[in-house]
Amino acid sequence: MLPSAGKETWNASVNEEQHEHLVESNAILLDVLRDQVGTLGVKRGCDMGTCGCCAVLIDGEPRLSCLCLAKEAQGTQIVTVEGLADGHHLHPIQQCFAEAGGSQCGFCTPGFLIVSAALLDENPEPSRDEIKCAIEGNLCRCTGYQQIVDAVEMAASMKRNGAIPPNPTDPKSDPHPLGPDDPSLPPGSSK
Amino acid sequence: MAKGYRQAPGKSGDKKRTDGKRVAGQQDFGVPGSGGSNPHSNLQDLDYVPESVGGWKKQPRGPHVHDRHITGMTIGKSVPLVDSNWKVTGQAEYGDDIRLQGELIGKILRSPHHYAKIRSIDVSAAEAMEGVFAVATGQDSVNKFGVLPVTKDEHAMAQDKVRHVGDLVACVCAIDEATAIEAMNAIIVDYEVLPSIHDMEDGLKDSEHPIHDRGKYHIGESNVQKRVFQQFGDLDGMKSAPFVHESDWETAGLHHGFTEPHAVVAHWDPAGRLTVWTPQQVPHYLHRGLSAVLDIPMHQINVHRTFVGGGFGGKSDPFPHEMCAAILARKSGRPVRINFDREEVYWINRGRHPSRIQMGVFADDEGRIAGIETDALIDGGAFASFGHVTTYYNGVLHTAPYEIGAFNYTGARVWTNKPASGAMRGHGAVNSRCAVEVGIDAVSEQMNVDPMTFRLANLLPPHSRTITGFRVTSTGMRECLAKVREQSGWDEKFRNLPLGKGIGVGCGFFISGSGLPIHWDPENFPHATVHLQCDMDGGVTVHTGAADIGQGSDTAVAQAVSEVLALPLDMIRIRSKESDTAPVDLGSYSSRVTFMNCNAAIKAACELRDKVMKAAWEITGYNPDVLVLGDRRIYYKHDPAVGVSWLEAVHKAQADVGSLIASGAYRTPPMGGVHKGAAAGLAPAYSFSAYVAEVDVDVETGFVKITKAWAAHDCGKALNPLAVKGQIIGSCHMGMGQVLSEEMKYGRDGHLMNPDLLDYKIMSVHEMPDVVPIIVESNDPEGPFGAKEAGEGPLLPILPAVCNAIYDAIGIRINELPVTPDRLHKRIEKHCRKIKVDDPLDLPVPRFEPGPLQQVLVERAEAHAKRDHLRDIQEDRSSYVNGVLFGFDPDKPMAEQKEGWREAVVPTPQDLADPSKRAARAWGHVERRHRGDE
Amino acid sequence: MRMPPFTLHTPENLAKALALANELDNFDWVAGGTDLLPNYKWHLNPKPNVISLAKVNELTALSGTVIGAMVRIHDLANSEDAHPLIRETAATIASVMIRRSATVGGNICLDTRCYWYNQTEEWRRSIDWCHKCDCDTEADCRVIPNQNTLCVATYQADLAAAFIALDATIHLASGAGARSMPFAEFFQLDGMTRNVLKPGELVTHVTLPEDAKNWQGAYQKLRLRETWDFPEAGVAAAWKLEGGKITGLRVATTGCESIPGDHSELAETAIVEWSGKDSIRELADGVRKAVKPVSNTYFPPAYRRKMLRVLTRRALAPLEHL
Ligand SMILES: Cc1cc2nc3c(=O)[nH]c(=O)nc-3n(C[C@H](O)[C@H](O)[C@H](O)COP(=O)(O)OP(=O)(O)OC[C@H]3O[C@@H](n4cnc5c(N)ncnc54)[C@H](O)[C@@H]3O)c2cc1C
Ligand code: SF4
Ligand code: FES
Ligand code: FES
Repeated sequence: MLPSAGKETWNASVNEEQHEHLVESNAILLDVLRDQVGTLGVKRGCDMGTCGCCAVLIDGEPRLSCLCLAKEAQGTQIVTVEGLADGHHLHPIQQCFAEAGGSQCGFCTPGFLIVSAALLDENPEPSRDEIKCAIEGNLCRCTGYQQIVDAVEMAASMKRNGAIPPNPTDPKSDPHPLGPDDPSLPPGSSK
Repeated sequence: MAKGYRQAPGKSGDKKRTDGKRVAGQQDFGVPGSGGSNPHSNLQDLDYVPESVGGWKKQPRGPHVHDRHITGMTIGKSVPLVDSNWKVTGQAEYGDDIRLQGELIGKILRSPHHYAKIRSIDVSAAEAMEGVFAVATGQDSVNKFGVLPVTKDEHAMAQDKVRHVGDLVACVCAIDEATAIEAMNAIIVDYEVLPSIHDMEDGLKDSEHPIHDRGKYHIGESNVQKRVFQQFGDLDGMKSAPFVHESDWETAGLHHGFTEPHAVVAHWDPAGRLTVWTPQQVPHYLHRGLSAVLDIPMHQINVHRTFVGGGFGGKSDPFPHEMCAAILARKSGRPVRINFDREEVYWINRGRHPSRIQMGVFADDEGRIAGIETDALIDGGAFASFGHVTTYYNGVLHTAPYEIGAFNYTGARVWTNKPASGAMRGHGAVNSRCAVEVGIDAVSEQMNVDPMTFRLANLLPPHSRTITGFRVTSTGMRECLAKVREQSGWDEKFRNLPLGKGIGVGCGFFISGSGLPIHWDPENFPHATVHLQCDMDGGVTVHTGAADIGQGSDTAVAQAVSEVLALPLDMIRIRSKESDTAPVDLGSYSSRVTFMNCNAAIKAACELRDKVMKAAWEITGYNPDVLVLGDRRIYYKHDPAVGVSWLEAVHKAQADVGSLIASGAYRTPPMGGVHKGAAAGLAPAYSFSAYVAEVDVDVETGFVKITKAWAAHDCGKALNPLAVKGQIIGSCHMGMGQVLSEEMKYGRDGHLMNPDLLDYKIMSVHEMPDVVPIIVESNDPEGPFGAKEAGEGPLLPILPAVCNAIYDAIGIRINELPVTPDRLHKRIEKHCRKIKVDDPLDLPVPRFEPGPLQQVLVERAEAHAKRDHLRDIQEDRSSYVNGVLFGFDPDKPMAEQKEGWREAVVPTPQDLADPSKRAARAWGHVERRHRGDE
Repeated sequence: MRMPPFTLHTPENLAKALALANELDNFDWVAGGTDLLPNYKWHLNPKPNVISLAKVNELTALSGTVIGAMVRIHDLANSEDAHPLIRETAATIASVMIRRSATVGGNICLDTRCYWYNQTEEWRRSIDWCHKCDCDTEADCRVIPNQNTLCVATYQADLAAAFIALDATIHLASGAGARSMPFAEFFQLDGMTRNVLKPGELVTHVTLPEDAKNWQGAYQKLRLRETWDFPEAGVAAAWKLEGGKITGLRVATTGCESIPGDHSELAETAIVEWSGKDSIRELADGVRKAVKPVSNTYFPPAYRRKMLRVLTRRALAPLEHL
């Protein structure tokens, strides 16, 4: 049996929060993120670089965390899917994935969101072909990609227009409406 | 309507069988849809209510029983999935995301042999290891399980034999993964290797060591797990038909390829109850399985479905690793988590069966389909799984959408020493459907008719019965074909494109819910149940066991409730995850969830609504007949300003009746024939689809690129068009994978060579063409708001559409899937040699000259279109059974009208005479119990 | 998936890396890790030590003629300076996500691949291992049995073909000093030893001849999907045109054997009497004959061989009318 690898402290900023953990020398970033940092939004689909579910931003660049040695991400700024939203305001790409049907079972979604968010940072107006090239390392079994590409296009325009996705904690519909504003109208038109 | 539907033909009433079973086609059954007898609010004056809030809207295909529940809230609108915010923020918890305090990591020791006897297992070294908490082997659980009660042949771990590489032998749990792996490697197993079977045809033969022993039900000494024979119709007429296309298909096994590998967490709480967290499509059957395997009552178990990262049928069996986790957790006293590596996912498999299908399509000189003859041998791998059903589906699901003169099917499923096949999107129907549709293309060519016209002139009308007795209600087949024909520019392109470019059409037909549940408790056990609960906050909590696997079943049920109660979606919350709180739902398989669960939900919502309406009556003084539900209000229909808010009415109702709860259930109406196997393929409704695909074939390399697809699917009514389109496009993607690239490759020694996502070739975004999803709404009379399935059926037609397009492009008939470049290149070379062409770039391309039949069929198709429309809008609902096109009287038994008409489910020796038929050979064996003493 | 235990070393410069390499007797280099880490996850010949080159800045030079070993494939594919043929080839490698980690050095030194080898430990146990990773069993090769001296695993890196076609030179360094050689000579015909690297030696950079910019070229890659998939066969061709005449032609293949193939001799002969299409056809047949793939990758070898002819023809299509 081979000797077990020694442990060392590892630190990085994950979603703008400093993390310090004792990790083995041979640790893979994906395992550290899931098992130690606790960002379970980073998914393990294949562990071999073939699905893109494990994508995270390392210093702004999308990378496969399953093919990244933790130690090489030492001291970097890591953003996972959990770090995309601004408080309760979703990132436009998150909002659009929901609205355009870009996410069905949702397992591939964190990876797609990460690479598309990075694409939009780089290229505010990507063509459909450019979007396809950016997501070619991500596998989706549910959507057939079409609605994912739609979602990225939609998010790009949303971002260009500076629109901010709604805050889901804002008050929702009230089961106690006051009645129609205009009594001649049916209540469907009340506030 | 009050008397309910009657199934044509035959009369209702007195002809009851003495054995309690139903007589085919001879009974009344309840009002469609809700499975109940009390349609609510039947007095609501829909003509009066403005359309914007759900008033009467004339439906092109006539009214629907649920029209009166339409309030204009969400049905038919594209809404995001209700759980999408969890998914896009990474907060959706899938199997491997469940982390409990004190968890141990479980690992499974798997067989390195295809087939072997276990002489002994020594776990002492593993048990002695520090950090190891428990080790379990087959001896820890001797009870059998399996998804189908008739074919339970699985154990948590191997008992005496391992049956495929990767079969479960033992399991361990330890403080961390490294220790668990070490312990696993320290288990010593002594095997005696047995001769293994890999080719499915070998499975038909007698064997010294059959893979399973079925006792007295064992078929010969062979590895035949299931055999089916069905012969219906005018076989002689079929055999003498002038146009025949026969082909011999070989289709590879497939995996579902979901992105989330299996993972499970099991924990026994301090009160001794077991909770299992698992991404399951069918939690209820797991619930039963766990109870059997662990020998504890079901009430001691809580099955907690996590988010499911894709299922497609691959997460619908109760799985041995789920049992292992429970066993280890029990032994160790700690929660145990097992998560799979990608390779283990392929070993547990349950994907599409590798198949060899002999397909004959026969057409007569009037351009009718004289018969379809199918012999399907399917490779089940090491376990039964859903295979019993698959064996039927490979045949019975091509008795529609066409009217056929005869149906002759033999099917057999054999065990081999491979990972088990099972149910996968389009269960059992996909391979043989492809063969049928390619056959139809080929006979149309022989007849010199356009395959589009040929199909249109041979469709079963709405409200008819198939040759084996399936009740077809709504069908949008004709509209699907018409739409893809028009939008794809078919008439200009067909047989007119240059070499290498082709266009093809294919159709599909699939069940929308299975008529009989797997665990069949006659009459009483509903297929789906929904409970609603409304409290002082006015929101409605929906309890359902329907498993959302990404298809959006939570959203669909929320929409149904929201629609009936006129509440916005954000006031509906779904609790569908735990068996402790969810009423039983049979699970997400056979495309049953929207149909059945939404029907149950509508019924429950109506009940809740009536309670609230009653309270509103007391407050407003207006009878519910003149009250209308609008957005969160109940108001007097003649003066919308008069009314109460939803909340006020709810509070009043609670004051009057106490808790405000309601519940609804769905069960299928009785249907179908009584012959053996009549239940297989029965469904309360069927979906239909037609696709046209365009391809580019590179004749020098054999590469096929699909450039565009027009995909029309009849889903009855699109409750959520966004989701339906997503299902159509996603199905296309999966089907394109099957037709062009995906296969489970077995090496020369029977090893699975590509258990990973690099060599199991799922199409990437670059191979995906532009798909134009086209929704066709046939308004199913029993579907919730008219809806039928959209999750599986849309996969079927893309395969034959592509195969037929390849023919159009290069004149080669496909009969082997997937059409990988190397395979197609071989065919091209062969074809070139045969027709003596040196350079494939000089290959001739098929062209089309309409023959005399073309005009006949065009006219017939037009006449049929009128016929179908009248049946749709209920101006003509005379009985119609398959055979009317051939001149039969639908109200008289066929056998009386035609000599030699067959309805047989057991073959005679003559039926098996053809030695080239494969599955037929399975009938050469005699079951042990019928063999007397020798 | 459990990584085998190893100690990762991250020297900050070349000198330290080479010194470390001298010290540790059993180690692997890791660059981007996109080849090494999958192999380690499957416990394919892991070593107790791994030396990462990630921090070694001396290896990242990138210009029209110099390409450092630690240049990322993604940067190479998008670089304005690199030779168009190199860029074109780099852009076909794996997927964009992998290209963001993958490096030129790692690509050149890519481990050879085989259906019977690139599998999990469990899987390989079920075939009783194979020669390349025999777990001390003296197992046979599963592709060409009854010999256990040679491994015929396939070299499936794309860049090599382009480098050979452009007549590149590869530069190595070790504690004992630096050396360089024509690119094709770097490889050794054995799926296990793969190349001439001595223990402790590494690839520092690749240089192209000064007049490489006067050469044009094309790369044709056989693979089922346009992303992820390794080359099942790859043909790179480079040519130099002067006054409407071909004055230089080089052809190289990859993805077919344990080493990339240099077919420049065939090509040189062909241009002596160039007759457009016919010469191309002849040359393509020559390439096909020269290469003998075995059955250990996704496509059957017979098909890959036939496709070599088509790929060669397509790579040379611009020369059809000369
Ligand atoms: C899903 C997938 C698809 C892929 N598809 C392709 C493809 O289409 N085409 C293709 O060519 N490759 C492909 N690859 C392989 C690989 O990603 C690339 O070849 C990549 O360029 C390797 O570079 P790396 O820096 O990641 O190598 P590493 O994994 O870091 O190293 C690879 C090998 O080279 C050695 N090495 C690295 N640098 C040096 C050096 N400077 N000197 C000496 N030895 C060194 C390492 O010790 C190791 O043995 C694929 C990989 C994956 C996972
Ligand atoms: S070629 Fe032979 S020795 Fe080399 S990896 Fe493959 S099976 Fe093993
Ligand atoms: S888990 Fe990293 S690419 Fe699949
Ligand atoms: S949404 Fe399920 S894999 Fe992409």
